[in-house]
Amino acid sequence: MFQNILLATSATKACDHAARVAFELAARFQSHVCIFHVLGVPSRGFSQMVVDVRTGETVALDDDYKAWVTEEVETYYENQIKAHQIKSHNDTDTQVAVGFPHREILRFARENKPDLIVMGGSTDDPDLSGYKKNMAGTTLQRITKSAPCPVLIVNRPAASFWGGISNVVFGTDFSKASDVSFQYAKKIATSIDDGELNMFHSVDISSAHSGLALSQDEIEDQLRDARTKMRKRYVSQLDGFKNYSIDVWEGLPYVEIVKYAREKQADLIIMSHQAREVEPEKVRLGSNMEQVIMRANCPVISINRHTSALNK
Amino acid sequence: MSKKILVVDDDPNIVDYLTTLFEDNGYTVNSASDAQKGLDLAQKEPPDLITLDLEMPGDWGPRFYRKMTQIEQLKNIPVIVISGLTSNQYAIQKAVATISKPFDKEELMKIVRDTLG
Repeated sequence: MFQNILLATSATKACDHAARVAFELAARFQSHVCIFHVLGVPSRGFSQMVVDVRTGETVALDDDYKAWVTEEVETYYENQIKAHQIKSHNDTDTQVAVGFPHREILRFARENKPDLIVMGGSTDDPDLSGYKKNMAGTTLQRITKSAPCPVLIVNRPAASFWGGISNVVFGTDFSKASDVSFQYAKKIATSIDDGELNMFHSVDISSAHSGLALSQDEIEDQLRDARTKMRKRYVSQLDGFKNYSIDVWEGLPYVEIVKYAREKQADLIIMSHQAREVEPEKVRLGSNMEQVIMRANCPVISINRHTSALNK
Repeated sequence: MSKKILVVDDDPNIVDYLTTLFEDNGYTVNSASDAQKGLDLAQKEPPDLITLDLEMPGDWGPRFYRKMTQIEQLKNIPVIVISGLTSNQYAIQKAVATISKPFDKEELMKIVRDTLG
């Protein structure tokens, strides 16, 4: 399922939760882990002067410095690398690049074709960017939008406390992009011994989306319709897999998905990125997806339009 | 008959410390070093309270809790999370309390007494 996992990390505390999940997944699926670190952004153009993201210092870049940073990153993850070699008999490797993090991560992913990119939350100091508390960082936004493979994000520390994956929540808005997520969620749930697939849709009853205050009869009609749709669209494709549930709640979608995952004690949420947007270049990460990523109590896998090849 | 506490923790030092502390206060104590052993023991001898570590080999505390709450006879047993991880209070929403290591034994005993009555 996950033969190659790319852990895109700043090698700081902000990525510790993501690293924990990446190595747990790698142990479970006997995966190879590539630790990828973008050490800094050149001060201008092809300048050799780079601001190191870990130390904040401007340094002259040469092979020695890159080798030193690689060693630093390997030292940072030393225990996990050793444990991974013992548990899964598989290897890790560490790669360091220079440039804008999102561009380098995407470039590396396109060249090396990992099965999954794992990322942590923003490295911004929360004290300096209080207003950004519930917003995904720009690197995360750009990668989830354009990655050639699914991206797993671990934002809150509590999202990394599961020690495994078996109880999967698939959030759908019935779009074509959600069909790709469904196939992916099904693949994960059915490939694990104790896998469980919880399929969920939220009827958006906020006045901004529904246009008017819906009567309770209308809401319940929509809930019933959505359940029927889920049975037709997804349950029919489960090929005899029994350990599933379907639920439809009404409310504000991201709130309901986070609540649902908490109630189900899910250890993974899978959703499609910007499923309803026709021109993805124009928009940022979909607000529901962004809010679920920021608030979920478990890792979230974001699937975008570029991963549609998964469906074939 | 004294109330029974199950300690689920992979650190033998913590297990020893909690076992001694609870036994000195008149409780009966069982212990397990991982989630699966904890579940087996809880089913064999249902406890009145469980203290649960988060980070353990194999399944972590939240997965133990999920499996436990899926078993009818165990689903309402109160759980106290004892962990050294940051943000541990968000790991198990329905835990009766979360205590960070290192902890004050009086604080823990007060929670245990309040929970068990």
